[in-house]
Amino acid sequence: MDVGNSVPAEAAFEPLLQFEMEMGTFLSEWQHCDHVSTYLARMISHNRTDPVRHSNFFSSALNELLEVSFRGGTSSGQIGLSIYRHGPIERVQITFPCPAEQVPFYREAVQKIDRSDAHARYLDSISTDMAPSRESVLLDLAINFDASIRIEESTSPAVTLIVDLPLEGLVS
Amino acid sequence: MSVAGLSPNFKVAFDANSQVFSLAGVIRPRSVDEIADSIAMLRQAIDDVRGVLYVDVKRLIQMNNTAFHAFVRVALDACRARADLRMVIVTSSVVGWTTRMFGHLNQIEPQITVEVYDSTFYPGQSFVEDTSFIPILRTQTKMTWRHERSILPRHGLRPGIAMADVCCGIGDFAVLVQKEFQPARIVALDHSKASLAYAREVATNFGITDIEYTYGDASEMLLEDNQFDFVSCRHSLQIFNERELLLKELYRICKPGGRVYITNEKNSHCLGEPRAQSIQWTYNEVAKLFSHFDMDVELGPKSRRYLADAGFDDILVESFMVTNLDGDPQDFADVITAWENVYAGEMAVRRGDTPEFIERFRQGFRDHIFAALHPKGYAGWPIWVASGRKPT
Repeated sequence: MDVGNSVPAEAAFEPLLQFEMEMGTFLSEWQHCDHVSTYLARMISHNRTDPVRHSNFFSSALNELLEVSFRGGTSSGQIGLSIYRHGPIERVQITFPCPAEQVPFYREAVQKIDRSDAHARYLDSISTDMAPSRESVLLDLAINFDASIRIEESTSPAVTLIVDLPLEGLVS
Repeated sequence: MSVAGLSPNFKVAFDANSQVFSLAGVIRPRSVDEIADSIAMLRQAIDDVRGVLYVDVKRLIQMNNTAFHAFVRVALDACRARADLRMVIVTSSVVGWTTRMFGHLNQIEPQITVEVYDSTFYPGQSFVEDTSFIPILRTQTKMTWRHERSILPRHGLRPGIAMADVCCGIGDFAVLVQKEFQPARIVALDHSKASLAYAREVATNFGITDIEYTYGDASEMLLEDNQFDFVSCRHSLQIFNERELLLKELYRICKPGGRVYITNEKNSHCLGEPRAQSIQWTYNEVAKLFSHFDMDVELGPKSRRYLADAGFDDILVESFMVTNLDGDPQDFADVITAWENVYAGEMAVRRGDTPEFIERFRQGFRDHIFAALHPKGYAGWPIWVASGRKPT
């Protein structure tokens, strides 16, 4: 089942990088989010027009996805991360195990990104939430990074978020 | 000024004199508790200020949503509680996401405005970023390269190293270094998008794909600490008004044991024969003219002091003279013509000099060209090269 917002027709995304880690190991250290996002961003940005700024922008978005996984994930199984490229867009596919009862909340958060009041809800979130919800993080990606986000669900208690980031155009 | 450091990569400070609260580095806490001291510092800053509080995030490299929400919440609450308070958040055009994220705040709270720090970073920028100046910059590099290619190895440039060329301009020096020395990595940074576009085009035309050209502010680079074996910054310290700040950044990105390499001029020492007196008068005036715009084109021999004060050791200094005998004398003459056009035609006019002064000022450049093209003439442009090692 796919739920998502404004994803373009499937294009020929080329694989750039795959990363897997035992979820228990990932959850053992909060700094993994920062380290992994910084390292992977640097690797995939090296041949962008402005590698340093692309890496900074990409790391910012990827870190938020990793933090969502960290906060919502369970320790069994693996976190899997694949990065693809098509022209100016990088696609991040992140899969992490989570409690089955949490899956509808991710689905709902992704669905809300498409609504016409997304911007207003994002401003409301900034204005009133002391800590960001998973919905406001996804709204942040959609609004500040021009991301297209969709969700894939499987029979196992896991969530896969597919996030297209057109950062090359934003940076250049 | 009070300063707190949560991690080596994050700094928060409040300067009560200028009412500037600044966040710099990487801040990605798991919970608000981790940044409680910084939040408290912002609250205290808000209590202390009258009128406008400037929130400087120009050097904020990363901030996660947890930190963003926490700081923003304090700012919004303060504006709601105090009608007299205004906040100006200063972002950088270099770090794209900060302007986007903080840019929403004005829609929530009109007392908060966001300014993008994207004006000229150094006084002479507008003079040298004119694209008509590009051919002359290329000629200048061609002339200096004849000397520098043999000088650079003495200052630590060698194959296989990681190198940054800060204030790379049109990027031709980086291309020459890449071809001659094959470093493993070159990052070339400049704050002129026009120059970088030109640099990328030149590199593409030469089939060079491994120079990382990046847009950035030399005084606040996104580049991480201790990355490069060799950091060059040519002809730029002299036109930068915040020299200590620039040197601090060059030092920061250089690896311990690596070297920072700078080149600068002493314009009053430009010389020529015949017509030496007229030439000397004009170049003395060039130095005064640049000084008027807060630039120091007499900096060359001061390089040793600047590097020592910035914390470098094993400082090496040498000089060379670009002359009309190095190659085609017309190249030398073309450069002087360009200087005349910019210095006399634009800068002196902007300073408000009289037509009589400008005419005499121009004459010295013309005499320098005369010396360069004279069959028995000699014309020179001295450059000082200096490098220092970052202590291990």
